[in-house]
Amino acid sequence: MNNVTCLGCGCACDDITVVVQGGTITEAGNACALGRTWFGDGKVPAEVRSNGRAVALEQAIGDAAKLLGAARRPLVYLAPDITSETQRAAVAIADRLGAVLDTPTSELADGILATQRRGRAGATLGEIRQRGDLVVFWGVDPALRYPRYTSRYAVEPVGVQAPAGRASRRVVAVDIGSCRGPENADERVSLAPTEELDALGAMRAAVGGRTTGDATWSRVEDLARRMAQGRYAVIVHDAEPGDLAPDADRAEALVALAQALNGPSRCALSSLRGGGNRSGADLVLTWQTGFPMAIDLAPGYPCYRPHQGAAVWLARREIDAALVVGSAARLPARVAQGLAAVAAVVIGPHASAAPFTPAIAVDTGVAGIHESGTAFRMDDVPLPLRAALPATASAMTVVRTLGERLAAR
Amino acid sequence: MTAPERLRIAGGAVYDPANGVDGVVRDVCIEAGRIVAALPKDAPRLDASGMVVMPGGVDIHAHIAGSSVNHARRLLPEERAADPARRPVLADPGEPARSGTGGTVPTTFTTGYRYAGLGYTTVMEAAIAPLAARHAHAELDDTPLVDAGFFVLLGNDDYLLRQIAQGEAQRARDYAAWLLGAAGAYAVKIVNPGGIACWKAGSRNVAGIDDPVGSSAVTPRKILEALADASNALKLPHPAHIHCNNLGQAGNASTTLDTMRALSGRRAHFTHLQFHSYGGEPGGGWKSAARDVIEYVNGHAEVSVDVGQVMFGPATTLTADAPVEYLLHARTGRKWVNVDVELETGCGIVPYEYKEKAAVAALQWAVGLELFLLARDPWQVVLSTDHPNGGSFLAYPELVRLLMDRAYRDERLKRVNHKLLAGSALLDGLTREYSLSEIAIVTRAGPARLLGLRHKGHLGVGADADVTIYTRAENAAAMFAAPRYVLKGGTVVVSDSQLRRAPAGRRLHVRPEYDAAVTRDVKRYFEEFACVSFENYPVGPLADPPVGGT
Repeated sequence: MNNVTCLGCGCACDDITVVVQGGTITEAGNACALGRTWFGDGKVPAEVRSNGRAVALEQAIGDAAKLLGAARRPLVYLAPDITSETQRAAVAIADRLGAVLDTPTSELADGILATQRRGRAGATLGEIRQRGDLVVFWGVDPALRYPRYTSRYAVEPVGVQAPAGRASRRVVAVDIGSCRGPENADERVSLAPTEELDALGAMRAAVGGRTTGDATWSRVEDLARRMAQGRYAVIVHDAEPGDLAPDADRAEALVALAQALNGPSRCALSSLRGGGNRSGADLVLTWQTGFPMAIDLAPGYPCYRPHQGAAVWLARREIDAALVVGSAARLPARVAQGLAAVAAVVIGPHASAAPFTPAIAVDTGVAGIHESGTAFRMDDVPLPLRAALPATASAMTVVRTLGERLAAR
Repeated sequence: MTAPERLRIAGGAVYDPANGVDGVVRDVCIEAGRIVAALPKDAPRLDASGMVVMPGGVDIHAHIAGSSVNHARRLLPEERAADPARRPVLADPGEPARSGTGGTVPTTFTTGYRYAGLGYTTVMEAAIAPLAARHAHAELDDTPLVDAGFFVLLGNDDYLLRQIAQGEAQRARDYAAWLLGAAGAYAVKIVNPGGIACWKAGSRNVAGIDDPVGSSAVTPRKILEALADASNALKLPHPAHIHCNNLGQAGNASTTLDTMRALSGRRAHFTHLQFHSYGGEPGGGWKSAARDVIEYVNGHAEVSVDVGQVMFGPATTLTADAPVEYLLHARTGRKWVNVDVELETGCGIVPYEYKEKAAVAALQWAVGLELFLLARDPWQVVLSTDHPNGGSFLAYPELVRLLMDRAYRDERLKRVNHKLLAGSALLDGLTREYSLSEIAIVTRAGPARLLGLRHKGHLGVGADADVTIYTRAENAAAMFAAPRYVLKGGTVVVSDSQLRRAPAGRRLHVRPEYDAAVTRDVKRYFEEFACVSFENYPVGPLADPPVGGT
């Protein structure tokens, strides 16, 4: 099968050729190592368990409806590896239950809140490819967690205004402590973690034609001036939690710098996001509730609680039942820990192998491997998912059936 | 729960201008979701005596779904939080009913509920990047109660501009046809032709319709001609839908008139004309040029417009016209989103508030009303606020009152800032008051006709049974804000001004024919520049058949 979309990371490369022999994936052509691992051989468990026993799907759904319908303070959590169609059906359940609703995006709330305060200057990845002439990697080398970012988007491919591909662009690595930019950068700037925010401040001042007068910052000021004089600068940073400690002030400063550069020049901030259709969850939550994460539906309408979120609600022990839809193995650690103390329904790939013991577990296929539908790239571009293998249970069907069961109560 | 098969709306005063019916008391008969000539005497009745019966409203231009709209929702959590929307209590407790949030850019379900609550049953989403068409369809699937389609952005499309540069008019036309089908779109949209391409390429914008876009072989004029001609040659139900260059700039009326003259003799729709009808000079000297612009429209039957009225209060400016949004951000310091969309278009968003004491906002308000009141033929002019750019669609009833009630309008006029109103026809004392029939034209019959929706906007035999029933009131705003009954495809969805049912709407889209040779060339282009596979680009088959059956 050709033109398969990989959800191994947020790049969502849609040029994968999946070869299936005897019901297993034997090859994921064009995929990077991370993508090949994500596809694997396509084998997933197909268990349906309720309270420790193997049961029929019907019974598991009935038990789940009973558990969730009786909950006082239910949590609905959208984990990775589900289609946006399934995400929509899961948010409908949260709405009906008056649940609290969250996704892994709460783990990067600082960045989301910065863009809600200021907006953002961005571009789809393909536009960065077409235009970018000065690409600054801010403490990140995409080779590690987004392996094909540089070969598909920025910086290697030819673009409308980058006729020679990589040679048409200047690549700058800003190394922050041990978090280094790409090894093959044309130039490097090294910053100690304690210097980072001051450097960003100096750069923003330089874009506005000012200088700190402090020689410490002359290199980054010079970089900022070149960004302002170029045609189309790009700042690439990792929006997901990682080695670089999350920092609300960094998130805000990067947004502000990219916006300011659009006065003298053009600039886009490219925020790297993880796989499994995480971006799709942000978008679905936003169009259905108005908020991208951390929502309390108990009042009868969506309320935004960006400084709380699932981990906080779980830690406070206020949740008495949870519905997790998606890969439980890819949950943020503090959410997985919290779920261990709660009666949980897990519907998703490898549910029966969740890092905690769910009351009810329904194994489904993986969106993009066993289940077709829609997913979103890290830049919010929608892509079709093509299932190369049949699913024993479709997450979409199971979640919809559960929703109908809850509606009928 | 299904719609009653038959229903007689009995004894209402019917306003059905498409069929020449002007307030005549008569029954409207419905069977299987359509208007029929007659029903047996014992058919179920809905007593509408003393009430006003009109076709369901048709919005020709609003931003309600898709990537840009969703960026706007995400940008403004404070606005969402201030306008919670509970789940409606529907007649059938088993029917999905969804909560949401409102503000100027409501969530999808709330959008559908609120449109139906106003008696609108058809809406066109005005600006979708083809790359994000799949997203727009998903949101429209979650927008109940309205039949909806979208216009696809083509006026800055890199492949299209290449065809124009090479003089490949036929291929440009085939490409437009292919793209409409691939995106599942309804019509071709042109936004600031060439200007967004310049914004992305580093030359900021164009200033007039003969400015070069990249090369001198491509100009806004050539883009306009190519896409207007393509739309007409493809016999699309709606012609090219045009947002002119220089939106919101003082002195832009000359650009607007240049654009209209450039397309003289061709069918074309000029959208949110208010934002394009200012006199003065670039950078200053703001004044109304509504008279000049609408005079041209009055003399050219091939032209249609929607007004894009500014209503005082909060708005969200959201447009593919990204360079304009940068200027607004730079001027106001308000938060700002920009998204350059690969090879196709742009997106800019800035929240805004129109204040009656602000000189430019007051001028904009006046210009919109002038356009309405000086337009000779209401069939050429559609009521819109360019939701949410000039204000929310929820302001339509207030706008109807401004058009119908001169005393009220004059009262409002006294309160606004008059600094820039010199020369405005409104200040000279426009006496015109729209009749109910004219309101029915500019809010349903006219837009349905201009969209080529033959089953919408009227109550003749065979029309979709989308019907709105109002209780007469002295205050037209109150009357239009809360229709007593609304029927969607024959189902009573609003009863006693309460939403009672929320069926899904249909998707309105076209699938014009084209020479398949173009796809080979487009595929080559994709392989060179795109980063989405050609095969993954089309949205695939839609559940509803295309309009016109092509």
